Amino acid sequence: MGKVISVHSSRGGTGKTIIAVSLAMALLKKGFRVSLLDFDFRAPSLFNIFGDVVKVPVEYWINDFLNERCKKEQVLIDVTGSPGVDSKLLIGLANPSVYAVQDMMAKTRGWEASALKKLYSLRSFLLKNLNMDYVILDTSPGIQYSSINAIITSDLLIIVTTSDPLDIEGVRSMLREFYDLFEKRTLVLLNKVFPEMELLHEQENTELIKQLETLGHPIVGAIPCYCDVLRAKRDYSFSLRNPTHPFIRKLEEVAGKLVNY
Amino acid sequence: MKRTNEEPLPREDSHERMKDELRQLNLKIDSIIELNKQMLSLQREFLRILDKNREPSHSSGIGAVPDAVALLSLPTSLRKTMFALYKFEEATAEDLSHETKRLRAVESASANQLARMGYLEKKRVGRKVYFCIKNSFKEY
Repeated sequence: MGKVISVHSSRGGTGKTIIAVSLAMALLKKGFRVSLLDFDFRAPSLFNIFGDVVKVPVEYWINDFLNERCKKEQVLIDVTGSPGVDSKLLIGLANPSVYAVQDMMAKTRGWEASALKKLYSLRSFLLKNLNMDYVILDTSPGIQYSSINAIITSDLLIIVTTSDPLDIEGVRSMLREFYDLFEKRTLVLLNKVFPEMELLHEQENTELIKQLETLGHPIVGAIPCYCDVLRAKRDYSFSLRNPTHPFIRKLEEVAGKLVNY
Repeated sequence: MKRTNEEPLPREDSHERMKDELRQLNLKIDSIIELNKQMLSLQREFLRILDKNREPSHSSGIGAVPDAVALLSLPTSLRKTMFALYKFEEATAEDLSHETKRLRAVESASANQLARMGYLEKKRVGRKVYFCIKNSFKEY
């Protein structure tokens, strides 16, 4: 049976979304059936990333399913056959309109309780009925209901952090007070490591990795910060246009490791 | 002869005027008391309607559909059962024990505790007891 993976971080700007998308593309390249869902209802971005291949206007968003306006299968957009997408790829988008963002921010605990149950039913549908190998959930940073719900329903949690000490301390405290309560398999992925740290000061980098290892969870990879990745057009096809880019190669390595967890 | 404002009123007139003002004041107070009564009555009605439509409180954790925060506040043992049960529509203690890799008796005790807390519903089918998470939303 397939796995649900949440990509989360303690703070914003760690590169969760690009990592979630690139992981999905790397898993597709290995021939897996993948579903990528946007659970960042406060700052939705998958809509823009898949803007070139999604039919506009989008008929139903994940918000609509959670708000009981549509069935779960109606929010899944099949983009299989789009340029570079040879295996099955289903995406679910969060509504980026200001109204929808405000609406999601004003939900009650009762609504969130229902959303959690719906998310479990979506999980079951994707893994059992549609036989997806991987379902990747891109979440909001920090402690948000949508993210907690996503983490609860996941089998594996990838925490993305940069080498910024504030990020690392944020992860440490979130692990202690939050992530560990879920008892999920948790991996730490270090992103945006300064390239000069990787190339010139290996010792410092090793120290950084040692510091991360004290978090008590496996470090699944350390990805340098590449200006061309930051400058590139933010769409799903970055990995297709740049298959040999070290960023993509590193994420393919990470994807390869995920199969063992 | 026309009097100026500064000139004092004759004593009788002054008493009459004071009485008149007191009567008016009394009338105003009566009307304020009446309005206050009406407002209290409306407030009671408003609270009654609000209470009727209010979602179940999750902070107490009793009789409510558990949200993520309520789940996190549960003891680890109960939380584990709850997470396992989310993966099933309904499950027996035996099903839960397969999922959590704990003893059936442990799952039975946890699920019964959660049912007593109002998080789960329990039903008997033949000799088997099934647990399911309370439904508070329309199923698609």
